[in-house]
Amino acid sequence: MASRRTIDLGRARRNFGALMDGHRYRWTELWLLLLPAAFMTISVLELSIVHTQPQIINRQTLPPLEAFGPALGLMAALIVAHLALNIFAPDADQTLLPIAGTLASIGVIMATRLGPDVGQNDLGFKQLLFVVVGLVICVVTVRLTRSLGWLRNYKYTWAVVGLGLVAVTLVSAIRSFNTNAPNRDVLSIGFGTGGLTFQPSELLKICLVIFFAGYLSENQEMLALARFKVGPFALPPLKHLGPLLVMLGVALLMIIGVRELGLALLIFGLFLSMLYVASNRPMYVVTSLILFAIGAIAAFGIFSYARARLDIMGSAFDPAVEPNQGYQIVQGLISFASGGVFGSGLGLGSPTITPAATTDYIAASFGEEFGFAGVLALIGLFLLLVYRGLSIAAQARDPFNKLMAVGLTAVFALQTLVILAGNLKVMPLTGVPLPFVAYGGSSVIANFIIIGLLLRLSESDT
Amino acid sequence: MNLSDLINGGGPFGFLFILRIALVVILYLVILQIVGVARRDLRRAAAVAQIPGQARQVVGHLIVIDSGTTKIPLNSRMDIEPITTIGRAPTSSVVIDSGVVSTDHARITYRNRSLWVEDLGSHNGTYINGRKITGPTAVKPDDILQVGDVRFKFTV
Repeated sequence: MASRRTIDLGRARRNFGALMDGHRYRWTELWLLLLPAAFMTISVLELSIVHTQPQIINRQTLPPLEAFGPALGLMAALIVAHLALNIFAPDADQTLLPIAGTLASIGVIMATRLGPDVGQNDLGFKQLLFVVVGLVICVVTVRLTRSLGWLRNYKYTWAVVGLGLVAVTLVSAIRSFNTNAPNRDVLSIGFGTGGLTFQPSELLKICLVIFFAGYLSENQEMLALARFKVGPFALPPLKHLGPLLVMLGVALLMIIGVRELGLALLIFGLFLSMLYVASNRPMYVVTSLILFAIGAIAAFGIFSYARARLDIMGSAFDPAVEPNQGYQIVQGLISFASGGVFGSGLGLGSPTITPAATTDYIAASFGEEFGFAGVLALIGLFLLLVYRGLSIAAQARDPFNKLMAVGLTAVFALQTLVILAGNLKVMPLTGVPLPFVAYGGSSVIANFIIIGLLLRLSESDT
Repeated sequence: MNLSDLINGGGPFGFLFILRIALVVILYLVILQIVGVARRDLRRAAAVAQIPGQARQVVGHLIVIDSGTTKIPLNSRMDIEPITTIGRAPTSSVVIDSGVVSTDHARITYRNRSLWVEDLGSHNGTYINGRKITGPTAVKPDDILQVGDVRFKFTV
């Protein structure tokens, strides 16, 4: 134990030496991090002008310190994370932290701006706290997963831990099973008067990606060759898929139990993308999609909640249907529309008319104040995140690493797709948080764990 | 036009208007810069691939189906090039760090559209499908190659 510690310190010192030489220094990352810093500075400037009297600028209306707090805090946190990555993962991808940082800075700025309007003045600071915790856990993840072996070796443990966490919340969910209220699987931890809430399903996603990656990489050959060969390994694929399908089935049932339909879609989607990458057989995907369609039709028959969601989407603008049913969807669309091309300007719109403007409808709030141009940029940032994730997967040599990168990237891609499509009334609305931007601790922290894993995967294979 | 009008943001060139546009522009700058980095990465990868003599032709793959006592991860996939050497030497194409593997243990060559395995006079021999080989032996996909206590399967 003692000797291992010495070696680690030696390595850290060497890396720190390289950092000082400027040889392996992550200059690209530092340069890219300047942009979110500029974004936050200008945002705070605009916010403070808007929040004070906009008529005159003089000494009294200089930006108040509170508005600068979250922005300065996030800049400092990003720089510290950047320095830590220089020591722990000097060769890791240099664009992931800036992309996540830009998205997180949009989230912190939006929380700062929307907080006072929804009666929570410290919303920006709270979101900053989540991002800081997320960045710390991200660096810890990079450090702990130096060898990815232990993730792979304990794949069943991970799956069981993830499912166990959700099972705890299932108990309270069952009580309200037959109401149509959207039910979030929130685990409340009594903490004085405040209380800390935590959504275990956020961690379930990561646990399942690790399990699927571990299982599929071990059975990859059988999956791909089962059609052709009757050799020693060509057992029916169903037998190899058994544990996989059991895990997937249990996860989906539990999620439907806690009524997170968006999450069920997400988990199924990431399973499909990983299965396709592992087997390279489109037929598996087609078969799964047919099964999914049957399952979805059955779910709509059984759960009034799912039916209600689809009905709301179809009849949002219909005045004959129960009034106010589609209020949220309609207000969200009005938000987007009133933003126009360049938006109303940060702090100059009124996005909080939409319910859940800081969480599920953060994209609509952003769309109102930054406009179509801003939303396109936001989608562009998510696209780049997915591009970098998939290129890490493409460069990975080890099948486990490859599958894990694919699965983790799919989490971002599907989450963004589901919530943006929901906000735009293209799909039934389900409460999936927009990665990094939506207000909420569990989601931000889980997303930074994913960034940490992707950073590690990008370093171990180049 | 006085200063307060500018700040008010009423006109198209108001201060707030400029800030608003600047925010969106910064978001696009982030995208532009990251695309630039991605392009540099791709160019670098292409440059590495184009160095003469470095061009790698992959004619098949070896899948580790039994790592024996070594630390090679199970199921890892290794490229077979027209000449692939297996052994303990760090210069081998496939390095197996094991006491029962010779420095230059075996060689896989690609001739006449098929793969041939030959033993390079190793101490413990090279096995194809459990049989020790004595000379160059043609292999086909799904054959099992054993070097020391590590077993590979050939795939395309």
